Amino acid sequence: MSLSAEDKARAAVLLRRDSEKISGSLPPLLAEADRLAMTVAMGVHGRKRAGIGETFWQYRQAMPGDVATSVDWRRSGRSDNLYIREMEWEAAQTVSIWADDSAAMDYKGPSAPRTKRERTVLLTLALSVLLVKAGERVSLLGSDAAQPRTGENQLRRMAMALAEPRPDRPDFGAPPQAKFQSSGRAVFFSDFMGARDEVFPALMHAADRNVAGCFVQVVDESEEEFPFDGRTVFQSMAGTVQFETQRARALRAAYRDKLAERREALETMARRTGWRCLIHRTSESPRTALLWLYMAIGGLR
Amino acid sequence: MLTVGPLAFLAPLLLLALVALPILWWLLRAVPPAPAKRAFPGVRLLLGLQDPERMPEKTPWWLLALRIAAIAAAILAFANPVFNPETDDGGTGPLLIVLDGGWASAPAWAEREARVADLLDAAGRSGRPVSLLNLAEPLSEDGPAFRDAADWAARLVALEPQAWSPDRAGAADWLAEASAGFDTIWLTDGVATPGDEAFAAALAAAGDVTVIRDGLDRVALTAPRFADGAVRADLLRTEATPRPSLRVTAFGPDPNGIERVLGEARVMFEGTGTETEALFDLPVELRNRVTRLAVPGVRSAGAVALTDDGLKRRKVGLLAGGQEGEGARLVSALFYLERALEPSADLIVAPLMDILLAAPDVIILADVGTLAGPERDALLSWIEGGGLLIRFAGPRLARSGEGQLEDDPLLPVRLRAGGRTVGGTMSWGAPKRLRPFPDASPFAGLELPADVAISSQVMAQPDPNLPERVIAALEDGTPLVTGRAQGDGRVVLFHVTANAEWSSLPLSGLFVEMLERLAVSARGAQPDAGELAGQTWVPVAVLDGFGELREPELLPGVDGARLVSEAPGPDMPPGIYAAGERRVAVNLFAPGDGIRPLEPLPDGFQEDSMTVVEETFLKPWLLAAALIALMVDILATLWLAGRLSGPRVTQGAALLLAAGLGLSAAPADAEGDDLALYATTSTVLAYVETGNARIDDVSRAGLLGLSGVLSRRTAIEPGEPVAVDLESQELSVFPFLYWPISETQPLPSDAAYGKLNAFLRSGGMILFDTRDANLGGRLGAGTPNGRALQRLAAKLDIPPLEPAPDDHVLTRTFYLLQDFPGRYANTDVWVEAAPDVEEVEGMPFRNLNDGVTPVVIGANDWAGAWAVSNSGQYMLPVGRGTGGGRQREIAYRFGVNLIMHVMTGNYKSDQVHVPALLERLGN
Repeated sequence: MSLSAEDKARAAVLLRRDSEKISGSLPPLLAEADRLAMTVAMGVHGRKRAGIGETFWQYRQAMPGDVATSVDWRRSGRSDNLYIREMEWEAAQTVSIWADDSAAMDYKGPSAPRTKRERTVLLTLALSVLLVKAGERVSLLGSDAAQPRTGENQLRRMAMALAEPRPDRPDFGAPPQAKFQSSGRAVFFSDFMGARDEVFPALMHAADRNVAGCFVQVVDESEEEFPFDGRTVFQSMAGTVQFETQRARALRAAYRDKLAERREALETMARRTGWRCLIHRTSESPRTALLWLYMAIGGLR
Repeated sequence: MLTVGPLAFLAPLLLLALVALPILWWLLRAVPPAPAKRAFPGVRLLLGLQDPERMPEKTPWWLLALRIAAIAAAILAFANPVFNPETDDGGTGPLLIVLDGGWASAPAWAEREARVADLLDAAGRSGRPVSLLNLAEPLSEDGPAFRDAADWAARLVALEPQAWSPDRAGAADWLAEASAGFDTIWLTDGVATPGDEAFAAALAAAGDVTVIRDGLDRVALTAPRFADGAVRADLLRTEATPRPSLRVTAFGPDPNGIERVLGEARVMFEGTGTETEALFDLPVELRNRVTRLAVPGVRSAGAVALTDDGLKRRKVGLLAGGQEGEGARLVSALFYLERALEPSADLIVAPLMDILLAAPDVIILADVGTLAGPERDALLSWIEGGGLLIRFAGPRLARSGEGQLEDDPLLPVRLRAGGRTVGGTMSWGAPKRLRPFPDASPFAGLELPADVAISSQVMAQPDPNLPERVIAALEDGTPLVTGRAQGDGRVVLFHVTANAEWSSLPLSGLFVEMLERLAVSARGAQPDAGELAGQTWVPVAVLDGFGELREPELLPGVDGARLVSEAPGPDMPPGIYAAGERRVAVNLFAPGDGIRPLEPLPDGFQEDSMTVVEETFLKPWLLAAALIALMVDILATLWLAGRLSGPRVTQGAALLLAAGLGLSAAPADAEGDDLALYATTSTVLAYVETGNARIDDVSRAGLLGLSGVLSRRTAIEPGEPVAVDLESQELSVFPFLYWPISETQPLPSDAAYGKLNAFLRSGGMILFDTRDANLGGRLGAGTPNGRALQRLAAKLDIPPLEPAPDDHVLTRTFYLLQDFPGRYANTDVWVEAAPDVEEVEGMPFRNLNDGVTPVVIGANDWAGAWAVSNSGQYMLPVGRGTGGGRQREIAYRFGVNLIMHVMTGNYKSDQVHVPALLERLGN
């Protein structure tokens, strides 16, 4: 289901009004993402750990293997032990997010609450909110917000970009051949249902740039269950690909095998490049996915 | 028309289409069901898969059979089959349908109408001209009018039975004049009338005759009479066969004027007797009220008998002026009155106050002079309440000087001092005789006996009003009887004595007749023509053929003589006729009348039955069957294509099933359940629907705006606001109701008030908003909305209120506020009055921590200030410039505080204890 013209107009008006507000509260999309992010932030405590930075974090006793230049002599002088002065880790990381906006993402199964695209947008923004709060730089690949930045303005820019879909969207999406910050992080949201020879090379391109990240396959429940029956002509969302079957339910097992095979391929590639894979169904709570993503990105560093 | 057994096809050519069915069979077999189209992103994964199973491309045989059956049914339907088709009657030439439309036809009138309609149909099919004749209605002068049957069918509805007997003798003459050459169908009622033979002969002369009888036993009631202390009426019938007992009921108004059953008599025909008597032994009070007797369950004018004055026995109070000795009976003032009235009235001879206690219809004062004090007042109020006072003159009245100086309400005219005496030994002139009664007088038409002579009388004072008050006068014009209306009653004065002292009037029959005309006495039996003659009797209510009383329409008055001498007919229907104060009932049957069954008819008359054989058109049924088969086909096709599964189909099936089981309320309940589920799964602000679209829009937008603010600023995240219909929706699921007051809102029902009170008692809050603070003044001070609020809230269980004090918890549940503005900011806001608690020195607010106020009442139009449109713009302006923006912000803050108060109660008030609690916990 694509956004209707009215919804778009409404979203734009809301965004503009809110952007004009002096007090500067977030647009509803952001607000929802913000709320979702808050639930996760409560469970995980930010980046409070030792690392590269300028702020004092803690003294710890020197262990064998520590470089001698790192010993804080002033502190060590007050006792018999050697202490090392640790700084809080403050280096801002760059997380590039690709949210697939192809027509296939607008699919909503008969019993699903939201389209895959809506869920993707929500997760993207919520993750961005969390990251920006933690001081990271975020970029949204393939949009106006592709330049990694941090701060509320970047969030708002991303929200704007996510609220209005691109005019000529392809049927199936593939990540753009963007420039990745080396040693940055990447999160790809998509259903990865496109042709294999289009999707995988693009994924490889990102992995080749020495970027670690996560694939999040957002799927609708009906895409896994395949609850169809009867004589059916299946079409892609934009109608470019067609397939006719005489009895849909007879294809169920074969379809599931194909899906499992596709996921297997995705995971194999992820394993090979050091990426991680998450399968997220729109019928599930976005909170679990967000928490997983947040942990995964933290764990990747 | 094609006839097959009891079936006939009106359009048989269409049956040829059945030949096409095999072609259809072949065509349907060849067309497989169309595939479904689905958008599905996973289609790429499907590419290259092979179908392991194949859908049958040919339609299964049973589905084909169903379709063929549906189409065959449709073809058969359009061939218009008829079951039991009516054939034409085989006759030719004109047809006369004769109805005995009298009282005896009324009980089975609907069947008669149906039979006539059937006959008209048959005649119409064979194209015969028809004439329809109702014997009880006046005959047209031109003879039978033969016209198209459809023309008559349109008039059939207007045909009604009449309340009198059919005039067969008249019809016989009328038919004899008409040209012969028509067949006749005669729907007879089976009751004999004079002239039956002539009528039958006239019909037979014209052509073939068919007689249709219904074989019912007719029942009729004669006019009621009063004899031996009971009301009696004869019950008549035609058939001499044993039959179970019948009831006869007496109806009349109760003291409140509502018609009720006053008595019931069970009567039995002895063996095969055709006549029996119904007897009602009723107390006088009830008997006087009886207006009609009727046989319940028999709808006919014949089974109703109306009563009139003949049954009424009036209570007459008699009072004489002086005490007479035992020996002077013949000169007693009351002797002649008692003799005249005794047979027909109940007499009360007692002191005046005792008479009045008995509530008499008439009081007669014979030569009573002065009445004074309470007696006079009581008598006067009795007259004004509808009593009839008749006074007779005499020496005492003449001497008393009563009514001589001024108008006396107890006398119709002023009297002159002294009287006059004529024809006596010491006077000139001869005794005077009566002048014939004028037409306007109630005595009009009475015979004047030659021997009535007046020798003494009291004289009326000449007066401009005198002529209209004179009811009877002497030859020389001196008034003899005068009368006048007083209140609802009447006062009548006979200027002579009630005994033979001053005149010979009391000795004559005229005296009794005059009393009768004054409605003092009721006649005992059937009146005779002479009694009624001379007056024009106007119908007051007449019976229709079914025995119901109706207003008479355009009926002229009837001369009195005809009332008794003639049988009821079109110009004198049975009913109640009135002249002056008197009423006479005209009934179909007088006592002693009887009814007989119709004599056997001459040979050559065919008999037919009343029952109508209905023809049945099968087209709608066949079409319905075809439609149902097609519906089943749709379902079967869907099932074959695998589209009969999934939640929506299940829901639809459940709905269909519910509808099929007649559970039509189920969807509404489901809607209510959905709403309740929505209201309970998220916090929802609700507003009361006023019925005014503008106000409801603002309320919705206001709550939407407030919900947005709450979501952004607080932990309360309400869903979309909900409109609440007080009558139908459950309120207990809402924490908060916004109720804008509008003049036009109707009062909720008692059930709705019950729900509202339960809502308030169980912790809900209503924010009443009269939205009229801009009109100035204080809340409820006489603005239209203020009055509407008082009206609406009158039945609500609302505790004592006070203007919100400065330390009310509403001022600090979330924001710290000093006042509660909406679009307007100048009035008090009323909340539940707090118990009287002393303010403690040094504490910022009093220690009040019980209960949430169930209502908040104000006039500031809060929803107006909160309202945002769907596109996020504020709907209504608040104030001017930045001050207005500030006021809107405060209004939002008030809303936040209010909802916080609803949700958290007096939590903020409890904070006052925090220091004390901490102290106790910590130390």
